[in-house]
Amino acid sequence: MIFSELYSAYYNAVAEIITLVINGERDEKRLREAVCDKAFSESVLEVLPSLKSGKWQIITQSLETPIKNKPTLPLTLLQRRWLKAVMLDPRVKLFGIEIEGLEEVEPLFESEDYLVYDKYLDGDDFEDEGYIIRFRNILKGLRESTPLRITYLNRQGDEVVFCVLPERLEYSEKDDKFRLIARGSRSLTTFNLNRVLRVTAVKGTPPIREKISPPETRSVTLRIRDERNALERCMLHFAHFEKHAERLDNGDYTVRVNYSVDDETEMVIRILRFGPFVEVVEPQSFRELIIDRLKKQMSIKI
Amino acid sequence: MSEYRELVKNFEKVRSYMREFYVYGFKSRTEFDSKSARSYDDERRRIESWLGDHMGFVRTRDGKNAFISIDSRVSTHNPLYKGLKTKSFTDKDITLHFILFDLLSSPEIKMTLDEILDGLDAYLSAFPSPMLFDESTVRKKLREYISEGIICTEKYGKSNIYFRSVNTQLPKSSEGIHFFSEVMPCGAVGSFLLDKYPDTSDKVSFKHHYITSALDSDVLALLFEAMHRKCSVTAVNYSRHADLPNKIHIVPLRVFISVQTGRQHLLAFDLNHGRIKSWRIDYLAEVEIGDECPSFDNYRALLEKSRQYMWGVNCSKTDKYLETVEFTVFVDDGEEYIVNRLEREKRLGKLERVDDNHYRFSATVFDTGELLPWIRSFVCRITSIKFSNRTLENRFREDLQSMYELYGIGGEGE
Repeated sequence: MIFSELYSAYYNAVAEIITLVINGERDEKRLREAVCDKAFSESVLEVLPSLKSGKWQIITQSLETPIKNKPTLPLTLLQRRWLKAVMLDPRVKLFGIEIEGLEEVEPLFESEDYLVYDKYLDGDDFEDEGYIIRFRNILKGLRESTPLRITYLNRQGDEVVFCVLPERLEYSEKDDKFRLIARGSRSLTTFNLNRVLRVTAVKGTPPIREKISPPETRSVTLRIRDERNALERCMLHFAHFEKHAERLDNGDYTVRVNYSVDDETEMVIRILRFGPFVEVVEPQSFRELIIDRLKKQMSIKI
Repeated sequence: MSEYRELVKNFEKVRSYMREFYVYGFKSRTEFDSKSARSYDDERRRIESWLGDHMGFVRTRDGKNAFISIDSRVSTHNPLYKGLKTKSFTDKDITLHFILFDLLSSPEIKMTLDEILDGLDAYLSAFPSPMLFDESTVRKKLREYISEGIICTEKYGKSNIYFRSVNTQLPKSSEGIHFFSEVMPCGAVGSFLLDKYPDTSDKVSFKHHYITSALDSDVLALLFEAMHRKCSVTAVNYSRHADLPNKIHIVPLRVFISVQTGRQHLLAFDLNHGRIKSWRIDYLAEVEIGDECPSFDNYRALLEKSRQYMWGVNCSKTDKYLETVEFTVFVDDGEEYIVNRLEREKRLGKLERVDDNHYRFSATVFDTGELLPWIRSFVCRITSIKFSNRTLENRFREDLQSMYELYGIGGEGE
């Protein structure tokens, strides 16, 4: 169903080449760039030679084409069915997506076909009208690189106003929340969207720092003892991080995981979930974080 | 011996390599179960070509190990989708495709098969040795495209006439499609749609974002189709925990997606064993949709009823064998965030305030073992714990003791 040449990078690359040739662009270097852009690093060895040799009879050796129109393809049924499924999701309103012509289309899946069973229960209210408006204002600011005035409810329950340049929205599937990452006058600031009260565009140029370093990244090395399927559980659990694993001589494994310093406490909690099968090897400072919790637990004597 | 090609006819083999490289990444060339070392070399070379800098290598005593490392918080578009854009095709396939859609360049242009064949000849006359397309090849391709929904047909007198489908307009801005391509099941389809945009945005990024399921998109789409048609399926289960692949005959009921562990399970009625069970979707292959199942709605209702006792994906045949667990945590003054954690992370069960500084969680479920990782995440503040399953309770306590020993706590001087 999904693995089809209709969606292949080669078809996309050839469509781009035909478009360029129709537009009078016959510089081979430019055509090679198009292949690299649309397909893969070794595709240049296949795509242009196949076209020029007449293996694929779409472009002639002299880089002309009998094709008259810029290649386009209607959406496949699969694509329309997926879009129909998307249209059933409450988050679709955030992006203001409206697609005509899907009335008769059966969705590829519906809410009763799947369940995200372990997301947190205090996710954002994506159907709240105010939330939707604020989300769209932020998205507009992002599209237009417009500074924004954000009125925010901080942890103490006070309203605070920030002038920031939006960098990106970040969505956590586990938290089921959006956050705005924005540049302020001093640092990168993260705003939970459910605590943003008002968003307005700022006229003029507020003081916003040009360059801000991203949050510090650290690494932690874990030793995994493969009992009770710990290896697979651990490797999958940390799969979304940049990581590297090795096997040790005694049959254990080590994995070095890079994480953002802002998420250190979360990392401690995530590692504790694996019990005695995943041990923090280094750095010692991280090991101490685990030891500290274990000592506290030991003192409770359950 | 066939020549190396960057594209593949069947995704199944490369799917398992990509998974090994991405999830594990410590296996050497000799450890792969492939028929030949050359097969390994070809797959590794392909994946390297598709994924570029995401592929890494390290030399160990066992040889050179390939691995895929992706920080999905930084990489806003799932790179593994590239693997699904690699289907091979014949020279005739691609030639016919582009000429056909140029002949039928708008939905108003309607042609008979003979007119299409004549049109093809006219296009191909531009080449010194024109390809020859017989009627059956073109008819077969048209049928294929009709089933894909990109070509329509209707009767005109005694002949069929063919024309392209009316296009569905995508939203002007790509952010929404991008977002859903990363968070919705079968998001690869969204990635195919993004390929239609001249530029795609990177205005949304993702945290806690598991991307491995991209490799299971085809399997997932077939399972959804089976659910949609209320049909049974046969599939082969390549579990890592079984010695041999196992053919299963099941009625797919619902896909359970975990955003905390990166795993996706299919909950399905096992027709051989007469009960609802769960299967890891990344272990399933060779899915074939079978007959309509008259009991589909009953099985689904049974699963829905069972959900009240499911912490994760384990489901029992009856609710006669339920287990209970309760644990109490200490919450110091100013640590309300712990109570918030308990509230938002509990999927079922009850949270009670015992006194100013203690909260008790209790639940009745099919399998209390599924709660162990979550309970461990509160280590440092657990003041009491009780499982109805004594073996599990002992295991929890033994594990805790093992952790003390692992970190050298509790010896002399502690």
